[in-house]
Amino acid sequence: MIAPPNLEIAVLILGMLLLMFEAFMDKIDKRVFAFAGILGLTTVLIGTFYLAPVPQIDHASGFWSFYTADPLAIFFKRFALLTTILVLVMMIDYAPTVRGSVAGVTVQAGLGEFFALPILTCAGLMYIASAIDFVMIFVSIELVTISFYVLVSFTRRNPLTLEAGVKYLVLSALSTAFLVYGITWIFGVTGETNLDRITAALANSNIDQTAMLFGAVLVLVALGFKIAAVPFQIWVPDVYQGAPTPVTAFLSVGSKAAGFVVLLRVLRPFLMLPKMDRLLVVVALLTLLYGNLAALPQGNLKRLLAYSSIAHAGYLLIGVACFDGPAVTFYLVAYLLMTLLSFAVLIVVAQQAGERITDFDGLAKRSPFLAFAMLIGMISLAGVPFTIGFFGKFFIFYSALAHHQTVLVVVGAITVACGFYYYLKVVRAMYWRPAVKNDAIPVSGLSRVVMSALIVAIIWFGVYPEPILRALQPPSGQVAMKSAADH
Amino acid sequence: MSPFLFWIFAGLMLVFGAGVVLNRNPVASALSLVVSFLGLAALFMSLDAYFIGIIQVLVYAGAVMVLFLFIIMLLDLRAEKLRKINWLASAGGIAVAVALSVQILYVIGNFRFSQQPFPPLARSTVDDVHHVGSLLFENYNLPFQIIGVLVLVATIGVVVLSKRELR
Repeated sequence: MIAPPNLEIAVLILGMLLLMFEAFMDKIDKRVFAFAGILGLTTVLIGTFYLAPVPQIDHASGFWSFYTADPLAIFFKRFALLTTILVLVMMIDYAPTVRGSVAGVTVQAGLGEFFALPILTCAGLMYIASAIDFVMIFVSIELVTISFYVLVSFTRRNPLTLEAGVKYLVLSALSTAFLVYGITWIFGVTGETNLDRITAALANSNIDQTAMLFGAVLVLVALGFKIAAVPFQIWVPDVYQGAPTPVTAFLSVGSKAAGFVVLLRVLRPFLMLPKMDRLLVVVALLTLLYGNLAALPQGNLKRLLAYSSIAHAGYLLIGVACFDGPAVTFYLVAYLLMTLLSFAVLIVVAQQAGERITDFDGLAKRSPFLAFAMLIGMISLAGVPFTIGFFGKFFIFYSALAHHQTVLVVVGAITVACGFYYYLKVVRAMYWRPAVKNDAIPVSGLSRVVMSALIVAIIWFGVYPEPILRALQPPSGQVAMKSAADH
Repeated sequence: MSPFLFWIFAGLMLVFGAGVVLNRNPVASALSLVVSFLGLAALFMSLDAYFIGIIQVLVYAGAVMVLFLFIIMLLDLRAEKLRKINWLASAGGIAVAVALSVQILYVIGNFRFSQQPFPPLARSTVDDVHHVGSLLFENYNLPFQIIGVLVLVATIGVVVLSKRELR
């Protein structure tokens, strides 16, 4: 039996050990560190299934007023670990590209840090999942953001990457400023940073509602930046396109999921504030429309996935606007599987051909396996039945209907149709266009295994979503949110 | 403290803060920032937060700014050329800034605490440093440890991104 806080400590020690060994063992193949990282994180992932129950002690002060190990936290810790493992697998495939765009004297210069940083980021993501205090939320979000600053601009010889790095740094720092300013307002009104105690303070009618709403909206601005909601999405296309592709995948899954966990936790006390739900509905509508419409004309697959990531933030926000924690969580799992599968294929193909959609022409003839993997990723992102993406959208729309949010459902359905167009554009290129070259694209054994596992997971959970739904029991999010919404 | 002193220091901060942006000579910008930091330190002092005030002077006005000046000297930065101003973009920026300021003013105007003076703080028996230290290492130990990891990540990042040739 493992105490929950030991999970993060194990991940941190793993990351530091890798850095240490990397510094002293410069003769060996650096991909060993990635494999060691994958192995270590898998061990921790298995460890999450043997957790000791949280001791029932006074939650008023000390460690447990910052850190929780409720089912939502544990679930997102597994989510972060799985994401990081898959990203490390992608990074191994991406290593040759890093070689060309990092200033180094040796062939594998910088790869050690490239493999070790995501592990430290993963610890940050796990801390975010457990954070129930604004101080803790701020510190762990910063840990994640700062490691992303480095990762995004890692291949700094590439001018696009440099541009992405600068844009991410400046805009992310701005959003951090909004977060801190919002937290100070909330602290100024309630005198508390702990979310439970803020909830208790808000029940007191003596609270200044306007000031509280102002603070809450400022915090929402910062989180909107993290989850790429309109109008805070300006950075997304350029940063996603310029960053090294595995980092883009990490950013679009890990960072976004972290933003949604914090959103679910932070919104709980603020739901009592007036007009909060209407604000969320408006943001969700804008995000849906912008993400899907802007994705239509894209010719670069990486940029297309960037806009698609905005669009999916819109669907997730529908769930948030209906305060349906389990539906949001399920959608995030679906999003993880299908997005990481698409990025994994993109990395392999981009090394041989390129990242434009026309580079995928005739992929079905060149490498049927890669084309099939991409096909599954794309139709799941579009939301075709018998894939997990369908159930994700189904639960979200179901919950929107249950809350009588008809506008959201109608706009959602229209944008899903848009999605079919641009996702199937990739499928058409792969299956109906003649190939320029005919040589097969090589896939490493590990990637092949991982891609097959993702394909199986997408179809399996698309037919039988029960295991994920059961993992979300007891529905901590829903019960808490429902009771908050009823107030 | 007297509101008179508050307005002097706040005004000083704003003027020199604007100076950081408006000056075209980087050394002048950096020195304006020092004055702005000193004004902030004075505000902290006037709020009885002596420790934070002194740290503000030591760390920001002292260490960080010396580092800035060193970098400016080493890189031999010249005065910036006057750029063509994109009027549409600046108008948009100003509009957003004005909208935000109006909102902040409205919220502060309605803020209940802003209509009455805060009660004075209770005189504590231990000194500031002791107080901050015990809070950091007892209550806020977990966030403090995470900041340790954060600094480690930042250090690795600086090495990776700035070293001329990696190994």
